[in-house]
Amino acid sequence: MTQTVEEPETGTADLDARPGARVIALRVLAAIAVPVVAFVVLAWALDTLRDNSANRLFIAGLAITIGVVGVFVLFWAADQLVDWMPASFRESVRPYVFVGPALVLLTVFLIYPVANTVLVSFKDANSRNWIGLDNYRFVFTNASMLRSIRNTAGWIIIVPSVALVIGLVFATLADKLRRGEAVAKSLIFLPMAISFVGAAVTFRLIYSYRPEGFGSNIGLLNGVWMGLGNDPVAWLSRKPWNNLMLMGIMVWMQTGFAMVVLSAAIKAIPDEIIEAARIDGASEMQVFRRITIPSILPTIVVVTTYMVINALKVFDIVFVMGNAEPNGTEVIAERMIRWFFLSNHNGRGAAIAVVLFVAVIPVMVWNVRKFREQELIR
Amino acid sequence: MTNEIPDKGEKHMRLRRMLIPLVALSLVAAACGDDDDDGGGGASGGGSNTGRVNLLSAVEPEEAEAVQAIFDELINADADYTAEIESSGNFEEQFQIRAQGGTLDVAAVPQPGAIPALADAGHIVALEDLGFDIGALNDTFGESFVALGEYNGKHYGIPTNINLKSMVWYPKDDFDAAGYEVPESWDDLIALSDQIIADGSTPWCIGFESEGATGWPATDWMEDIMLRTAGPDVYDQWVAHEIPFDDDAVVNAANTFGEILFADGYVLGGASATADIAFGDAPLPMFDDPPKCWLHRQASFINSFFPSDAEAGVDYDWFPLPPIDQEGILFAGELTVVGTNGNRPEVIDFLEKFMAEEVQCDMGGVVGSSRISPNVNVGGDCYANQILADAAEVLTDALEKNTGRFDASDLMPSEVGAGSFWTGMIDFVRGKDAAAVMADIEASWP
Amino acid sequence: MSVTAPMPPPDATADPGPAKAVKAPKGEAIGVRRGGWFVRITILVVVAIWLVPSLGVLITSFREGDAANTSGWWTVLGNPFSAEWTLDNYRTVLDAGGFQHAFLNSLAVAVPATVIPVTIAAFAAYAFSWMDFRGRHVLFVLVVGLMVVPLQMALIPILRLFVGGATLWGIPVFPDVNLNGTFLGVWLAHTGFGLPLATYLLRNYIGSLPSSIIESAKIDGADHFTIFWRLIVPLSVPALAAFGIFQFLWVWNDLLVAYVFLGGTSDTRVVTIALANLVGSRGQDWHLLTSAAFITMSLPLVVFFSLQRYFIRGLTAGSVKG
Repeated sequence: MTQTVEEPETGTADLDARPGARVIALRVLAAIAVPVVAFVVLAWALDTLRDNSANRLFIAGLAITIGVVGVFVLFWAADQLVDWMPASFRESVRPYVFVGPALVLLTVFLIYPVANTVLVSFKDANSRNWIGLDNYRFVFTNASMLRSIRNTAGWIIIVPSVALVIGLVFATLADKLRRGEAVAKSLIFLPMAISFVGAAVTFRLIYSYRPEGFGSNIGLLNGVWMGLGNDPVAWLSRKPWNNLMLMGIMVWMQTGFAMVVLSAAIKAIPDEIIEAARIDGASEMQVFRRITIPSILPTIVVVTTYMVINALKVFDIVFVMGNAEPNGTEVIAERMIRWFFLSNHNGRGAAIAVVLFVAVIPVMVWNVRKFREQELIR
Repeated sequence: MTNEIPDKGEKHMRLRRMLIPLVALSLVAAACGDDDDDGGGGASGGGSNTGRVNLLSAVEPEEAEAVQAIFDELINADADYTAEIESSGNFEEQFQIRAQGGTLDVAAVPQPGAIPALADAGHIVALEDLGFDIGALNDTFGESFVALGEYNGKHYGIPTNINLKSMVWYPKDDFDAAGYEVPESWDDLIALSDQIIADGSTPWCIGFESEGATGWPATDWMEDIMLRTAGPDVYDQWVAHEIPFDDDAVVNAANTFGEILFADGYVLGGASATADIAFGDAPLPMFDDPPKCWLHRQASFINSFFPSDAEAGVDYDWFPLPPIDQEGILFAGELTVVGTNGNRPEVIDFLEKFMAEEVQCDMGGVVGSSRISPNVNVGGDCYANQILADAAEVLTDALEKNTGRFDASDLMPSEVGAGSFWTGMIDFVRGKDAAAVMADIEASWP
Repeated sequence: MSVTAPMPPPDATADPGPAKAVKAPKGEAIGVRRGGWFVRITILVVVAIWLVPSLGVLITSFREGDAANTSGWWTVLGNPFSAEWTLDNYRTVLDAGGFQHAFLNSLAVAVPATVIPVTIAAFAAYAFSWMDFRGRHVLFVLVVGLMVVPLQMALIPILRLFVGGATLWGIPVFPDVNLNGTFLGVWLAHTGFGLPLATYLLRNYIGSLPSSIIESAKIDGADHFTIFWRLIVPLSVPALAAFGIFQFLWVWNDLLVAYVFLGGTSDTRVVTIALANLVGSRGQDWHLLTSAAFITMSLPLVVFFSLQRYFIRGLTAGSVKG
C-alpha cells in the first residue's frame, strides 16, 4: 500500500491519445482477463465453504472473514498485477479491476437473465417456437394488461410522491424537535424491518372483512367503520379505491427509507448557511424552499429513483391481497408473475418483463443527467 | 440517451461499441443455453446416487411432518439415501422454477394440467424412460387416473394422493335435533334448504376468498354441478375442450349453481359477499349456537379449519353432494412427477416405495390427515378416522362405477384452470350473466 | 406544508411557549420553529398513524388464538387487564423444530450476502466516481437500469447456470460447478441482485465527496488503491454501514432467493422459511403469524438500532460538508 505511481494523470491523458492497435488489443484482453481471473479466484476461495453439514457458526465466521478479507485481498492482488503492466496502459486497465467483479457478477446474475428474457418474449408458452410479436400484441391489447399498465402508472406516481412528501415533512420537522428525534424516526423506520409475510398479516388485520353472521370483524378499518354505525365493507374489492388501499401498504413500508435518507441530507446542510439566511430575515418556509430543497436535490433524485423502481416491481402486496383481475388491482409485475409461474405462459410473462425494463429507461436518462451535473460542480 | 451531448458524439459512439460485445455475449450465451435444453429432453440422468431424494409438495406443513416421519421409518431406515418431503406455500412457483431450472428431483403436483407444457419442453422425465411398467401402474391406480399424466404417448405422473371434493358438511348435533334428514337427491337438498329458511335460519355458508387464488372454491362448485347435470362424458369433453366453454351444458350448470347461490335467503351474507369471505372462515357460522348456517360444500381438508373443540361425528358430519340428473363424484389429487435432476436410481427406488401399499396405508393412518390413497390395494382399515374412511369408500365406489372425475380446473391449461376460470366465477357470483362469463373464459382458452 | 401552516396573528408575542405563537421573522409560520407545537403535533400524528398497524400485530401476537380470530385486536385496549394475554404463541414459534438451526442458517446467509456486495460495490462506485475510463457512463446507466430487473425472471436462467454451467462454442464461459443448494450459491445470488442498488447508492455518496480531497492525495503521490482504502473508505463508513443495514434487512427477510438456491428442507432452511412452514399457507393462525413476524423482525431491529447513528450521515448524496 506504500507503493507510488509515477504518472497519476495518465488515466485521463490516455483517453485523448490515440493508442496503437496492439495496445488496444492488450487493453481489451486485460479488461476481460483481469475480472475473470479475479472471479475465478473468488469462486475458488468461497468454494471451500460449500460443505453444508459443517457447523453453521463456523461457516458464518469463515464466511465473514472471506467476505471481508478475501474479497479485499482479491482486489488488492489484482491491483498489484496491474502495477506490473507496462506503464503506457496501466492506468487505463486499472478502472476495470475496480469495476470488473461487479460487472462480471451483474452479467451473470442480471444481464444474462435479461437477455434470456428478451429472447423468451418472442417465443411461445413453453419457449419452444418463435412466434414473433404475438406476446407483445397480447400485452398491449389484453384488457387486464392495459389495466395493469394504468394501475402501475398510478403506483409509480402516487407511492413515491406521497412517501417523499411525508418523509420530507417528517424529516424537516423531526430535525426541529428538542428531544425524541431518534425515537420518532425509528418508529417510522420500523416497517422497513418487517418481512413481507409480516406486512401481509399486518394489513390483513386492517382491511379484513367479514359480513354479518361470520363473526365479528377483526380488521381495524371495519371496526372503526362499524363503530360509526355502518355495515362492514369489503375494502379490498371496492373499485377503484382498493388500489389506493394497496398503495397505502407500500407507503407505510417505504416512507421510513425516504425519511431516513432525507433526514441525513438535511442534517448535512451547513448550519452557517441556514443561520445566515435566517439573519437575513428569511422565514422558515423560505429557508425550506430556497435552501433546504436545493441542497438535498441530489438525495431527492436518489430516493425517487429507488421508490419509482420499487413501485414498478411491486407484486407481492397485490398478490396476497386478493385476486387482482376481478378486483381491478392488476399491476405489471403481478401480471408477469401470474403469466410466468401460474398460467405457465413463459412468452407472455417475459414480454411483460420487457415492458418493465423499457419503463425504467426515462428514470435512467434522468439519473445520467443528474450524474453529469454533479460531476461538473463537485 | 447517448446522444445528449452532441460535441462528445464520437466518444459516445465508442462507448456504445464497448457495450455491444457485452450484450452480444449475453444474448449468445442465452441462445446457447436454450439449445442445450432442446437437446436435453431429460437425458441428463442416469447419474450416480447423491444420497438425497427431495419431494417438493404443496401439502400443509403439519401434514408434511407426518409424511416425513413415515418416510424416515419405512424408507430411510434401510436405504442408502435420505428421502425428504419439502412443503412449499408457493408450490406452483417453486415447482416451475425448479423444473425449468433443472434442480427438481420429484414433485407431487396437484395440477396435472401443468404436465404437458413441462413434458413438451423436456423439463420432466417420462416414467417409461425411468423404467416404470405402465401396465403395472394401470393395475394399481386405474388406467384413467394414470392417463391424467399422459403426454404424447408417454406417462409422466404417478398418482400418490387423492382427496374427495363432493362433500357437504353439516352441524350434526343441531341438524339431528332440528329433525333434518340427509338429502338423497338434489330436490331433497333444495327442499331441505327451503325448510331451513322456513325455520328462520340460513341454509348455506359459502366463501371463495383465497388471496391471489380467490375463486377456486367456486370452480369446485361449478365442476361438481356440471358433473351431475351434464354427466361424466360431457364433463370429459368439457375438460378436453371438445365442447366450448360457453356450451349450453356449461351455462346450464352455472345456472343450476345459481339456484342456490342467488336464491333469496339461501346464502349467509348474500352471493356477492362470497368472493370476499375467506374460504377457511366460511364454515365457522355452522358452529355457532344455534348454527347461523347448516350446509357447507368443501373438500375433505376443510375440517382442519373447524373450531379446535368441534368433534367429528358429533358436532359435524358430511354427506356426498347428491346427484342431479346424473351421478358423479368429484375428486382431486396429486400426480408425482420426476424432474431432470431426478433421473437417478435412488429416486426410482424412492418412488416405488412411496407409491406402494405399505407407505400409502401408513399415510392414511395419520390422524387429522386428509390423504386418501389412490392405490387400489389400500384398504379402508388403513384410515385413522371415520370421515376419511367413509370418503375413501365413496371414492372407490364412484371409481368402480366410472362416475368419479378429477377436478376440471386442475386439468385444464393453467391460464384457464388457474386464471380465467377463477376470475370468471368471481364475476359470476358478483352478478355477471352466466353466458357472458362462460364466453369470456372460452375466449381465454389458448 | 405551506397549506397546513397557519399564518401568525398580527400581535404575535415574544412568548416562546410551545403552545403559543412565537417570535418569528416576517412571514414565519407559527410553531414551525424548533420544538414548536406545530412540529410536535405533526410528528405525533404521523408517528401514531405509522404505529397503528404494528400495534395491531404486537397486540395480536400476545392474544390467544381463538380470541384473536373472533374479536378485533383493539377491543383489548378497552379492558387491558381482563383480556386473555398469553406468551404461548411465542413459545410455540420458538419451540418449533429446528428453529435455532434456521436462525444460524439465516446468519450464515445474511452476513456474507451483506459484506460481499458492499465491498464489490464500493470498489465499483469509486471507479465510477473518480476514475476515467471508457464506457463509464454507459456502464453506470446499465447498472442503474438493472435495478428494475425483477429477480423472479432471473431465477430460472441462473439455476441452469448453477446446475449445468454454460458453454459458448464449446468453450466453458461459466464453470459447471453445482452451486445449487450451497451457501456460496445464495451469497453470489444475493450479491448479484443487491449490486445495482449498492453501486447506485454508494456512487452517489462517494461521487459527492469534494474533489479537492482526491486531488490533493494524488498530488501527494497516492495511487487509486491507496486513495480508495485510506481516504474513501474511512470517509464513506456511514454510507457503507447504511447500505449494509439495508442489504442485511433485505437478505434477512428474503424468502424466495433462499428457497430457490438453498431449499426448504429442515437442514438448509432459513428463518423466513421455517416460520412460513410453521404457520402454513392457508391457515388463519393470526396469533402465530403475528408472533412469528415479531421474532423475524427482532434481529434486523437490533441491527438497525445499534447502527442507526450511521444513518445520520449515511446513504446521502451531495451532503458532505466541504
